[in-house]
Amino acid sequence: MSGLFDRLQNEIEGREKEDGISPLDLAELSAPLRKIIRLMLREVELSFDRLWEALSGTEDGEQMSKDELGKMLETLAKQGWLISRGEKDRASYKVNLRRKPGSSLAQGIWSALDDKIEKREKADPKADGDE
Amino acid sequence: MGKIVSIHSFRGGTGKSNTTANIASLVAMEGKRVGVVDTDIQSPGIHVLFGLNEESMGHTLNEFLRNECSIGDVALQIGENVGNEPGRKKLKDKYLWLIPSSINLREITDILKNSYDPNILNAGLQTLIKEKELDYLFIDTHPGLNEETLLSITISDILIIILRPDQQDFQGTAVTVDIARALDVPNMVLAVNKALSRYDPDQIREEIEKTYDVKVAGVMPLTEDLVENQSKDIFSLREPDHPWSKAVKEIAETIIEFD
Repeated sequence: MSGLFDRLQNEIEGREKEDGISPLDLAELSAPLRKIIRLMLREVELSFDRLWEALSGTEDGEQMSKDELGKMLETLAKQGWLISRGEKDRASYKVNLRRKPGSSLAQGIWSALDDKIEKREKADPKADGDE
Repeated sequence: MGKIVSIHSFRGGTGKSNTTANIASLVAMEGKRVGVVDTDIQSPGIHVLFGLNEESMGHTLNEFLRNECSIGDVALQIGENVGNEPGRKKLKDKYLWLIPSSINLREITDILKNSYDPNILNAGLQTLIKEKELDYLFIDTHPGLNEETLLSITISDILIIILRPDQQDFQGTAVTVDIARALDVPNMVLAVNKALSRYDPDQIREEIEKTYDVKVAGVMPLTEDLVENQSKDIFSLREPDHPWSKAVKEIAETIIEFD
């Protein structure tokens, strides 16, 4: 195994499984991993071959075999950061961005606001867009 | 592939939306295919500069995020709806699309209460670039750093950080520059707005570039003429020879030069 692959694999396995990756997590990743995630975000969904092609010719790509890249992507998927479809060379991957939780304000505040809006809408259906 | 340009400021009131609308319009005037997305869902406003209100904006980004329509349904071609303002009229038949956020009170509170899936937003932006064959997609972000702004910075090819010559802005900008570097944003520039006319813009530029080690793409003067415009028109198209417009043009040229 190459040094780069070991390092990245350790980095991924060292993190707890999560419901996706947040942009804040991205800032903490090593540069090669960040490059992979960023490329996937831009392409939305990326086949294994396309990813390998994109990494080939770069310094990171030269330090990693196709098998090692496959294992790394599999680990990222197990981690919850990627969503994978298909297997091995036919696989494709998407970044799984973590959904931001909704407001932590007390539900009562939202209910009261909803009630007020509803009353206003009933009284004057065009009112709130003219704020 | 089209380039994503995020326009960000650490604090509110920097003139971010106004500057974004003007840069995007100037780039469109150069014959480029341009999209503008208002991701400032909590406090949307850029639609006003393009002469839109709740009724005329049609579908919104909020509806797309709730899977109620496609991103293509939301994209409104400004060149077909320019109205009578002299600046905006120049955009007739230009390739400029706006993806507005809703100004309906219920829609805004709904997003604040329930949030949304950032995967849908990202997929929508990338789809828009492909469907409209955009050269540039400008993202008008909410001021400050939160998950949405970080996502837009992450996927950007170019980041424009707008600041005023003010100590609070200086410190906040330092944080944003550090984050953008940590996220490996390929190109980053600063744009200074509301610079007092008694100061030399070249000196402001030099000092800020030295402080952040980032290129300053333009220094826009503080001007009552812009306030008088009241966001009713695209000022740089209405008054192309005004010093503020010339500074914005310089920023637009810098963006195009990144090709």
